[in-house]
Amino acid sequence: MKLKIRDGQMDKTVEAQILNGQLWLKHKDDTFVFDLNEGGSQRRKKSAGKKDSEIVAPMPGKITKIFVQADQEVKKSQALIVMEAMKMEYTLKSDLDTKVQSLKCKVGDQVSLGQLLIEFYKENK
Amino acid sequence: MSNIHSSSTPLNRRFTRIAIANRGEVAVRIIKACEEMGIETVLLHSDVDINSRAYRMATKTMCIGGAPTAESYLNIEANIQGALASGAQAIHPGFGFLSENADFAEACEKAGLVFIGPSARSIRELGDKMNCKSLAQKAGLPLIPGYQGDLQDVDHLVKQCEIIGLPVIVKAAAGGGGRGMKLINSLEEAKELIESAQREAASAFGSPKVFLEKYLGRAKHVEFQIFGDSTGQVLHFFDRECSVQRRHQKIIEEAISPSISEEMRKQMGEAAIAIAELGHYKGAGTVEFLVQDGKFYLLEVNTRLQVEHPVTEMVLGVDLVKAQILTAQNQYVHDPKVIRIPKGHSIECRVYAENPYLGGVPSTGKLGHVHWPEGPGRRFEYGFEEGDTITAYYDPMIAKVIVWDESRSRAIEKMIRVLKDSVVFGVHTNIPYLIEILSHPEFINGTMTTRFIETHFAEPLKTKEVTSEILSLKEQALKQLRRQDSTMTVSTMGATANPFSSYWRGM
Repeated sequence: MKLKIRDGQMDKTVEAQILNGQLWLKHKDDTFVFDLNEGGSQRRKKSAGKKDSEIVAPMPGKITKIFVQADQEVKKSQALIVMEAMKMEYTLKSDLDTKVQSLKCKVGDQVSLGQLLIEFYKENK
Repeated sequence: MSNIHSSSTPLNRRFTRIAIANRGEVAVRIIKACEEMGIETVLLHSDVDINSRAYRMATKTMCIGGAPTAESYLNIEANIQGALASGAQAIHPGFGFLSENADFAEACEKAGLVFIGPSARSIRELGDKMNCKSLAQKAGLPLIPGYQGDLQDVDHLVKQCEIIGLPVIVKAAAGGGGRGMKLINSLEEAKELIESAQREAASAFGSPKVFLEKYLGRAKHVEFQIFGDSTGQVLHFFDRECSVQRRHQKIIEEAISPSISEEMRKQMGEAAIAIAELGHYKGAGTVEFLVQDGKFYLLEVNTRLQVEHPVTEMVLGVDLVKAQILTAQNQYVHDPKVIRIPKGHSIECRVYAENPYLGGVPSTGKLGHVHWPEGPGRRFEYGFEEGDTITAYYDPMIAKVIVWDESRSRAIEKMIRVLKDSVVFGVHTNIPYLIEILSHPEFINGTMTTRFIETHFAEPLKTKEVTSEILSLKEQALKQLRRQDSTMTVSTMGATANPFSSYWRGM
């Protein structure tokens, strides 16, 4: 909703709303989103599709193809998993040369944002 | 005028109820046209689509299946049974889903329902990209080199890529809208990409058939709106340019194209009408071309309404959906006294639910506050409002923003302003990305090609800097919201007639 906010001598107008533990704020031309439950236990960094030691789903969707299996060595930018969301396919690729420890999903799974899909061995090679 | 059929024109009919085999903003667009014509509507929807504007607006609604498209929006039998049970005389398929499915058009006819679109025969001849190409070849229209054979074995297709010469583009034969379409740059990745295209094609259009085409690297996408009236006469309603595409999906469209000369416009328009007449076209359709180095090549024919039809409506002052319904009622006939001349310039931006700061990954969830800044020469086509849910089952397009102004540069300025003033909370949108594209010199000059996005916007947008001003606004906004929230809970419990209380629905 529209809010007037006193800033020094001036009233500034923003649009703001709390949704699902996030504050959505629009000021002038830009929209910002703030997580409100910061601190406490560290939330999984949902935004990142990949970390060195794992691959998480970058979006909710369906697993349509898996190219790798446990204990398989993979090269940088090798295709690992194909996901489908909103009728488009997205290929998740490896960020580095590493080795698959375990698969946490199977073809046909409906996965949620940030869900763990592949675990790699911690040390490369 | 050469093609007035010897058979007598069928009698006029009037629909009293039309079923809509679609969802989202296009369902709303069809409902609006029906409302204007005094026709009742039946929305044939999937079980998850009850939180949508079309669901609330339709005269009647009927759930025809589960969320997966194969169970509902692509289910021919369910759509026909739904339409029959609801007492509709006709079905409007919108775009996407079953709109270009000849079997569906045929099934409608068998069930005694009028399919609002071209005949099943026209869809087979023009809509199937391979048939269309052989038809165009006979007519002597310029085609892009490629492979359109029936042999769909992946190894065979990879070999064909080699023969055509890379880069090659693989496309769904029954498709459109960028789905089932992949660019192949090296033979190593050819197999994987072709298989992926086949899966996407099967999932989106019900057929895994694909074809190959040489990729033109500096081309512009220019298309002609065609319209066949109920007597069979086909005219074109001028052109649109849709060169701004990402992963072969259009993002920004405009009418008319800033890139072709009047001479070329005339030639392309004639070619568009020629191919449509060969396919005995009736109703609204689009002939797509690629333009490179002063030459044009036929790309495909879309035998349906296009997502970007509003820009044509804005520059010509026509209502294409109404004209479609009138044609299906055997009422719409081109009037030789009406001379159509495009006026001013119109631009459409597709608003997608995706995060531009993360390279465009889909963003789903419940919509919060939404505000579209109305004004002269502005049009907002949207299917979802505050409290509605954007699911991962369907297309990420949640709205279209259309502007009209006297010149192209003014239309661009207006569009940027309108996007900056639009508010969408709850899901991320590509609005910041659209603003960047519209501000790019290449777009402003009108020289962008279909590779514009991959050349200049390959990287995700940089996140906006959170200044100390924004942080202080955030803290104070939070305080105010939490204070209001606690008082609001008390007042709404008393069921007061507070005019603002409706604002909190869906929170």
